[in-house]
Amino acid sequence: MKLLRISSDLGDNYVATYDQKGNKDIINFEGNKFEIEYIGPGWREGEMLFRINGEIHRVYIDNGFIVIDDETIFKVDRITETPVEQGKSLEELIKGKEGEVLSPMQGRIVQIRVKEGDAVTKGQPLLSIEAMKSETVISAPVSGVVQKILVKPGQGVKKGDLLLIIK
Amino acid sequence: MPPFGKVLVANRGEIAVRVMKAVKEMGMKAVAVYSEADKYALHVKYADEAYYIGPAPALQSYLNINAIIDAAEKAHADAIHPGYGFLSENADFAEAVVKAGITWIGPPVEAMRAIKSKLDGKRIAKMAGVPISPGSDGPVESLDEALKIAEKIGYPIMVKAAYGGGGTGITRVDTPEQLVEVWERNKRLAYQAFGKADLYIEKAAVNPRHIEFQLIGDKYGNYVVAWERECTIQRRNQKLIEEAPSPALKMEERESMFEPIIKFGKIIGYYTLGTFETVFSDVTREFYFLELNKRLQVEHPITEMIFRIDLVKLQIRLAAGEPLPFTQEELNKRVRGHAIEFRINAEDPLNDFTGSSGFITYYKEPTGPGVRVDSGVTLGSYVPPFYDSLISKLITYGENRQQAIEAGLRALNDYKIGGVRTTIELYKWIVQDEDFQKGKFTTAYIAEKKEQFIKYLKQKEQMKAALAATIYERGLLKKATTAQQPTAQKALKSGWKTYGLIQQSSYRVLW
Repeated sequence: MKLLRISSDLGDNYVATYDQKGNKDIINFEGNKFEIEYIGPGWREGEMLFRINGEIHRVYIDNGFIVIDDETIFKVDRITETPVEQGKSLEELIKGKEGEVLSPMQGRIVQIRVKEGDAVTKGQPLLSIEAMKSETVISAPVSGVVQKILVKPGQGVKKGDLLLIIK
Repeated sequence: MPPFGKVLVANRGEIAVRVMKAVKEMGMKAVAVYSEADKYALHVKYADEAYYIGPAPALQSYLNINAIIDAAEKAHADAIHPGYGFLSENADFAEAVVKAGITWIGPPVEAMRAIKSKLDGKRIAKMAGVPISPGSDGPVESLDEALKIAEKIGYPIMVKAAYGGGGTGITRVDTPEQLVEVWERNKRLAYQAFGKADLYIEKAAVNPRHIEFQLIGDKYGNYVVAWERECTIQRRNQKLIEEAPSPALKMEERESMFEPIIKFGKIIGYYTLGTFETVFSDVTREFYFLELNKRLQVEHPITEMIFRIDLVKLQIRLAAGEPLPFTQEELNKRVRGHAIEFRINAEDPLNDFTGSSGFITYYKEPTGPGVRVDSGVTLGSYVPPFYDSLISKLITYGENRQQAIEAGLRALNDYKIGGVRTTIELYKWIVQDEDFQKGKFTTAYIAEKKEQFIKYLKQKEQMKAALAATIYERGLLKKATTAQQPTAQKALKSGWKTYGLIQQSSYRVLW
């Protein structure tokens, strides 16, 4: 079992546990569970068939976008994985990961507006990153207490770097 | 003969492109104006000429009267079309246009001044016999007076800013305590937003529908009403889905409004296009007048579809002084079918409809029978955070409402936009919702259904993320991309020679 963080091109982050059982994948979000099986290639070039929770869906890739049933699209920015620590419940694992704030881009930390131990609410600005002369404000993905800040003002960061942890 | 030589469109996005299409069809030249943020926008590319008018914030560009008049003079434009929003209902702008010797494609300046505040509109509506909701006759001076009036007409009431617009400055109040609380705050907010603190009170309709009537008039006192548009599906007093005709009205109810609306137009000497916004109660079957919008509406295409007329071309001709080409009776005979408009907004329905800006990285537009798309974006367009979130409108038509909905679902499935969040997925849920299909809804529809559609949308997003995880974890992405259609091989030799060689290599020739 692995813990996955799936980031879409729109900046949405989904945290889920991922388990391969034979040719089936069990993907568990907090609240929703999906059982996905790759059936094989479809009749058309580039088409793939999947069984998701019992229903068959057609999928193809177009310009980096995953097109599902020729009806809806999804683009992955990145998927990161971490091994699962023993003895923790699913909710705890997902909660913990949701509080990890990652850098959405390469840049330089300009200002950090919170201290370790501060209570923050969802949506509150945490810090700003400067890239290409424009400043981007990163806000808290969840409510909680700032447990650890891993960067300093002026420090350069890469896309996907861990910035701070909210518990 | 086209009525003008060159028309400047003082707007951006979808509506600028829509107006320019009419301008081009009529054999005139279209002029665009643009801000810093819209340098590469579709409406700028589509125009015959384009002029820069200022930095990205609307106040310095699309609301900058001097800069727009300057551009019009530079371009030698004969007329200005204001679109909707921005300066479209600004009497000062209309006056400046007329003073510069340019034709204003809109109502006369005097008529715009006559109904500057919502209260003026209400007073004239009363004179014309347009039903208005009970409430204060003018601005309410003090809190005491407000409490007294509220007691008389009964709660719930609406506290409105006399000079407000676009759904802002309106608060619903259910109790006297709430009224005390809201009064001073709204006064301050109204002053900050509109420069005038006047507030008034009217009775709130309980679970109303929002229905608006299209008034068309020429300069010679002829008027018709091009029926109504049902704009009940809203969030935060802003429309999302509109349809025509309304599924709730009977012909007598509709016709009962024509005469008073035309009278209203006559009183203020109105011409070109105007829209009477009303609330309609399913229970009491009564209309209450809200306000007259002095411009082309966002949702004008649905009226165009059912009457098969081009309202923008008509508006331009009427402003140029041409007479109305049809009577009410002739217009009534033209009506056919049902049309629905979906406003494609760059917004996140999962996050209280907050705006989403960015580059459009994927774009597939629906086409085919019964489908019309009025879009302001294309692949690679930038959706700036400075303006309205409306990026495109999908309009579908059917012989009846059911068929328009069916075309709607098909077209929404075909419409794919990547790079920004849109309301498309939400609309797919709405058109499949039973209450929507039966036409059973009020202005509270989005608020009431919120829990249901958020659950659905969230699950769909997670399903897509889960599928993506499987594709990546199992290395299926590489398989899929390598299997993609090979790009057409470069022809090294001319087609003719190849053809000749094939002929020669046939065994019969060799033999």
